[in-house]
Amino acid sequence: MTTQQDSSLESLLAAAKSAIDAAEKPNELEQLRVQYLGKKGELTNQLKQIGSLPPEQRPLFGDRVNQVKQQVAEHLNLRKAKLDAEALAAAIAAESIDVTLPGRGLPSGGLHPVTRTMQRIEDIFVAMGFGVATGPEIEDDFHNFEALNIPAEHPARAMHDTFYVETDTPAAHDYLLRTHTSPVQVRYMLKNKPPINIIAPGRVYRCDSDVTHTPMFHQVEGLMVDEGISFADLKGVLTHFLQQFFEADLKIRLRPSYFPFTEPSAEVDISCVFCESGCRICKQTGWIEVLGSGMVHPEVFRHVGIDSEKYTGFAFGLGVERLTMLRYGVDDLRLFFDNDLNFLEQFK
Amino acid sequence: MIISEQWLRDWVDVDLSAQEIADCLTNAGLEVDGVEAVGQPIDNLLVGRVLSVTKHPNADRLNLTTVDVGEQQLEIVCGASNVREDLIVAVAMIGAKLPNGLKIKRAKVRGIESNGMLCSASELGLEESSDGLIELDPDAEIGMRVDEYLQLDDHLIDIDLTPNRGDCLSVQGVARELNVLASGKYHPLDVAEIANDIDDAFGVSLLEPDACPRYFARVVRGIDSEAVTPIWMQERLRRSGVRPISAIVDITNYVMLELGQPMHAFDLAKLNGGIQVRFARDGELITLLDDSEAKLTSDTLVIADQEAPVAIAGVMGGADSAIGDDTVDIVLESAHFTRKAVAGTARRYGLHTESSQRFERGVDPLLCEQAIQRASELVLEICGGQVGPVCQSQDQVEISAKPSVELRLSRLESLLGMSLDADEVSKILHRIADQVSGSDEKWVVTPPSFRFDLEREADLVEEVARVKGYDNIPVAMPRIAPRSVVGTESYITDRQVRQSLVARDYREAITYSFIEPKLQQAFDSETPVRLANPLAENMSVMRTSLIPGLVQALQFNLNRQRERVRLFEVGASYHKTESGYREVKRLAGVVCGLRSPAQWAIGDAQNVDFYDIKADLDAVLSLTGQSKPIIFEQSTRSALHPGQQALLTREVDDGTGNEESVVEIGWLGRLHPELEKQFDVHNVFAFELNLETALLARRPSFTTVSRYPSVKRDISVVVDDAVPVAALMRAVESELGSPLRKVELFDVYRGAGVSEGSKSVSISLELRFVDRTMTDDEVDTLFASARAVLEKEFGATLRS
Repeated sequence: MTTQQDSSLESLLAAAKSAIDAAEKPNELEQLRVQYLGKKGELTNQLKQIGSLPPEQRPLFGDRVNQVKQQVAEHLNLRKAKLDAEALAAAIAAESIDVTLPGRGLPSGGLHPVTRTMQRIEDIFVAMGFGVATGPEIEDDFHNFEALNIPAEHPARAMHDTFYVETDTPAAHDYLLRTHTSPVQVRYMLKNKPPINIIAPGRVYRCDSDVTHTPMFHQVEGLMVDEGISFADLKGVLTHFLQQFFEADLKIRLRPSYFPFTEPSAEVDISCVFCESGCRICKQTGWIEVLGSGMVHPEVFRHVGIDSEKYTGFAFGLGVERLTMLRYGVDDLRLFFDNDLNFLEQFK
Repeated sequence: MIISEQWLRDWVDVDLSAQEIADCLTNAGLEVDGVEAVGQPIDNLLVGRVLSVTKHPNADRLNLTTVDVGEQQLEIVCGASNVREDLIVAVAMIGAKLPNGLKIKRAKVRGIESNGMLCSASELGLEESSDGLIELDPDAEIGMRVDEYLQLDDHLIDIDLTPNRGDCLSVQGVARELNVLASGKYHPLDVAEIANDIDDAFGVSLLEPDACPRYFARVVRGIDSEAVTPIWMQERLRRSGVRPISAIVDITNYVMLELGQPMHAFDLAKLNGGIQVRFARDGELITLLDDSEAKLTSDTLVIADQEAPVAIAGVMGGADSAIGDDTVDIVLESAHFTRKAVAGTARRYGLHTESSQRFERGVDPLLCEQAIQRASELVLEICGGQVGPVCQSQDQVEISAKPSVELRLSRLESLLGMSLDADEVSKILHRIADQVSGSDEKWVVTPPSFRFDLEREADLVEEVARVKGYDNIPVAMPRIAPRSVVGTESYITDRQVRQSLVARDYREAITYSFIEPKLQQAFDSETPVRLANPLAENMSVMRTSLIPGLVQALQFNLNRQRERVRLFEVGASYHKTESGYREVKRLAGVVCGLRSPAQWAIGDAQNVDFYDIKADLDAVLSLTGQSKPIIFEQSTRSALHPGQQALLTREVDDGTGNEESVVEIGWLGRLHPELEKQFDVHNVFAFELNLETALLARRPSFTTVSRYPSVKRDISVVVDDAVPVAALMRAVESELGSPLRKVELFDVYRGAGVSEGSKSVSISLELRFVDRTMTDDEVDTLFASARAVLEKEFGATLRS
């Protein structure tokens, strides 16, 4: 290979490199690839001259042209990679956004706190194996009172300020708005044989309206009937429920009380969830009353045709608003039915 | 009922503090709501006697008094009108600090030095307000500390009694109960029989022995009408929440509080002959002690003289025969009215009295005699006079002994879930009742006459548990029989529906089930169920739709600076039927304001429209998995905008192969402009679904997934504007059948290029076979048949 040939290849390489370095766009690089490495490119042309060389020079010259070709190709690739990287960086820079701007579209709404509490109560009992039963809100006297051992003129009726439904014959106070969810017990036991384990959530009504009473509120009734169900079982089920509900290892206390449809009857208190030594909510006693309960009264069993010698059972009823207030710290019962968004939005 | 600790301690000795007594009662079922101290020790407050009263020289209304307080005599200026010589008063001397915070200092009142103050009951903290000085008894010891004299070291125990324990509505009753619970020492009242001084008998005839089986009456003549109730009795009445009135009335109230027997006293001179206990005649009138007039009905038991009713039995006496300032001859009544006789009466007449409260819950029928003796004793002591014989009228049948009740140890143990020691049970039973027989396995107990609530075995089980203490019953976990708790797949749950709406930015509301009739009527012409005794007119009918309540809630929020409101509710509507009532579980919603909250990334925010809410319903209802779309048909509900409302129906398939049926599931629309105007709201959309039909779900059932490619073809046709788009889609679906995988609407166009009164509808068809690739010819054929059906049924033309 002559010096002249060599230097011409060198200058070709140098020219190619500087042209490549000067290229700013991918299409310019493509043109340079064609110009140097294409079928009619300058280096290809060099190779075509190989026939005019003396045979002994041909291998050396061929090698050299191929080396240059390779160097140009590498240079092209490097430059392309650099341009690609720059272009990507520019694109990324251009597409960058302020991630702190708010998202687009709809936020989510929320459930009413009473529903939230009811669902929590249901979930706990369903996990224990209880079913969920329902019954009508416009009830008759038999299911709401009579079958629950509250005959007419029973003093316990005074505890239930009852809304009656207007009928064509004004004297017949047969239909009423149920004053508790207990009639569901009666309906369920009339239709189903033991073993029975249900809860019955729903709306109930009393004609009373002041700071601590609304004429409509929600209760969940519970009923378990089988052979050998005892007061100790009642304690066990309620302890489990209340500890789960409040997510606390709280203590429960049962106090004798009176409900016409249970005997023995008990009010159930929990150790105060707000304080250790007495506060306004537990009236300085350390205990908060949360529900009423007891062993199903034999008279109720008689009304629904269940043999009270063979079967025993317990029932309980709890106020959903009361548990909601305790759970979320709501201090005014009336807020539940105002449906003020400022209130509802606090319960996501 | 409020009971004085000191009074209780007169009846029973227990080694417990007031708070411990309260805890003991609470734990046994007599829930104590509070324990309140009556008073604090007050130094320098002594009993004194007014020695002289002279006019203050510089003030008309003031007097100068000299008061003897034992070791000294004090000059005190006094402004009370009842100050007089020899009056026994409470004297606050210099240095005394009264409960209201007043500190007594030496002071000059209008130029005259005053060395203390004569006090009223309110200044001693005994009552809210007083008229004049407290007048202490004439025999009070001069110079004694007033706090000791009045027993201010006392507590008021407020017991919230359950209706079954009427026997505890007296000091005697609570003392008896405390004695059972705390094993104290019980001191029953020893009432001597008071022999008669005169022979004035008083005729009583019991015409209704079922309602009043026993009536004791006694005449007392010549009482001192000026007699004053002694201060100790006044204090006990006051502490029990009963206002002292006059000596005779106070005595009857006192006996009631002490023994539990409601009593009444008539002015003998105002009675016309002997009395009868009978039912009232319809329309008879009586003016009662509270000056109200009652028109009686024939189910009301009354005490009547020969002319007219003089009292509603067991509830309230009449004004005409009442004790007055000049009464000298009286008749004392101590009667037994049955629970049944009194229970309804108090409620019917709206008269809830101390007496009716006791009779409703049951008064010991054996108490009448003791009570009348006790009352006579007190009358003689306080008012003097001469007593006649006790005139008894009674019907033995009605007051027969209570039946005995059996208790089995095995039953006791199985109900409580614990084993018990028979001896212990025996002991408990003996504390409750005097008559107990049997042991070990079974007892027979005759409950005392005052325990109306002990009727059956379960009642004795509670007694044993109560006395033993509920805390001592163990905690167990029952074996719960497995049952279906997951539920059917034929319905989706309302929980899923709620959650789905929450995810679409709805807030759940809970509104009242009863609403205002006018409001109800504005939304629904159905005749609603009315309440007979509503709290107020605006809560007097049961809703037939959830919408009126929700619109009110929406309005409530709009009035509080909210502009965008999206509320839903799940609940019942109430309907009258031929045979009774029907409740339908519904889901309803109301929406107004912007489609989404104002935000930076969306240009001009738009108000919601019909199609936004439709999409919400589509999303909710698609949870059911039903394969057929919901059908929205133009409807004519009067509360809704006539041009923007639809009835929703759907063909349902429960996935079991039963036949499909078309059910109505609800409606959607904008409120009628008239209603919007009435409620001052704008652009409000509402929907209501019947959840019983809307939630019918189809259990998913697998069909082969095609492995072959599908072909998409679009078709644009021009049809008359009145043709519902859904009809076009349905026609194509039914024409093409199973090769049509999907049909989608992608454009509706009116305007240039489409003639007036027409619209262009663009539909995309996705076609495929499950088992092979569709050829071009097959695609063309199907496409052509789609075109043909649109042309034939709707006169559609291809859009050029």
